[in-house]
Amino acid sequence: MAKAKIGIYWAAACGGCDCALLEVNEQILDVVAAADILLWPCAADPKYSDLRGYKNGEIDIVLFNGAIRTQENRELAQLIRTKTKYLVAFGSCAQSGGVIGLANQSSRDEIFSTVFGDQANWPQLSSNQDGYDLHLPEFLPRLTNLAEVVEVDYVVPGCPPPKQIVSALFTALVAGDLPATGTVFASSKNLCEECSREREQLKITQILRPHAHESDPDKCLLDQGFMCMGPATRGGCLAVCPAANMPCTGCAGPTANIRDQGAAMLNTVASLIGTGEEGEDQLAAEDAILAQFDDIVGTFYRFGAATSIFKERYHERNATTR
Amino acid sequence: MDKTHATYEPRIVAFLCRWCSYAGADLAGVSRLTYPANIVPIRVNCSGRVDADMVLSALEKGADGVLIGGCHPGDCHYVTGNYKTRRRIVLIKQALSEVGIDPRRVHLEWISASEGIKFQSTMTSYTELIRELGPSPVRATKAPVHG
Repeated sequence: MAKAKIGIYWAAACGGCDCALLEVNEQILDVVAAADILLWPCAADPKYSDLRGYKNGEIDIVLFNGAIRTQENRELAQLIRTKTKYLVAFGSCAQSGGVIGLANQSSRDEIFSTVFGDQANWPQLSSNQDGYDLHLPEFLPRLTNLAEVVEVDYVVPGCPPPKQIVSALFTALVAGDLPATGTVFASSKNLCEECSREREQLKITQILRPHAHESDPDKCLLDQGFMCMGPATRGGCLAVCPAANMPCTGCAGPTANIRDQGAAMLNTVASLIGTGEEGEDQLAAEDAILAQFDDIVGTFYRFGAATSIFKERYHERNATTR
Repeated sequence: MDKTHATYEPRIVAFLCRWCSYAGADLAGVSRLTYPANIVPIRVNCSGRVDADMVLSALEKGADGVLIGGCHPGDCHYVTGNYKTRRRIVLIKQALSEVGIDPRRVHLEWISASEGIKFQSTMTSYTELIRELGPSPVRATKAPVHG
């Protein structure tokens, strides 16, 4: 049997997803034995021209990590789509925009000012250096996930995808036994199913933040008032963050039967917040707890903002009116 | 009023609890009270059934305003559903505000089965408010990022 041909690509990414591929340790050797890696900018040196030279559909599968932030990201997503049979959105950014999706709340100029400082330092799309014309890819007006550009066949969630999920993908890949397209390589149930903390479904009487408060290591973080996204988030990572005293931030995306992860979490939290009694005389006390949130979008849509209604900044004059 | 507002008719989705606000709408109807036709009423069993996804989906799909009608505090048929939705709406409004959407585009009102007149006045004043706010920025036509 001919060796499978695979590719790994990074778009707007931090590099963590590429590292996560090696978390499987020696299993990577099985992958290399079973497949030729035709593209992997992080670790090998094939050029884009090599990629263009492949026949359409010649690559069997490409693991695509990172979001679509620049014109280059978009062009490569489209090019890779034509060259591969199966395209995998690998990691939160490819899946749903990821943390960097929150940058859509700032304009291009605001982002450039923060990153490069004075406008004189901003990157120029075209410049001439020593007689050479140099071009940079355009910075798109809004960051998107991979599926907004091209059709995606599989999703491997996580920031970065945890070892056992990557391993499940590699096992399927080496065996040449990929599941039906549309499969998300994680649990269809939520994270709480995998979490060993004891949950009593207590009322949330105060909103705590992990850098400012110590948590009880045995009790449910949500019960204690930490905004743990477990109830709305896919399991599959074996709840490593809660095990390390960090609330789940929701990197694996919504469970199979939720459309909007942040909205689902918002519902959960709104139902749990309270003084223990419900009644008209409790409303002011509830409002005092609700007022302790200072970044709803950043908390509940940390990885999914780019694929929600919060995918861009709006400019209504009275946006702060109550 | 600028040009874009000239032909603007607000589109408002109203989620009405069947025990109070929807019955209030019925009373307004049988009492022949008139109110703007901009309201699209959707009957739900309880205002507590209106989850954040329903409100945000309505806005994403082009509603200029979303109104939730429930029973007065203490009157919920399911005892505490209206308190849950009240807390939810507080958080939704804050989230909208954070991204620059006028939070008044989502509105919660207690309307009982006997308050046909309140139903009429609420629908009228909310339609006027949304008319003043103009079309929702969410449905403003923008060039797609990946054209």
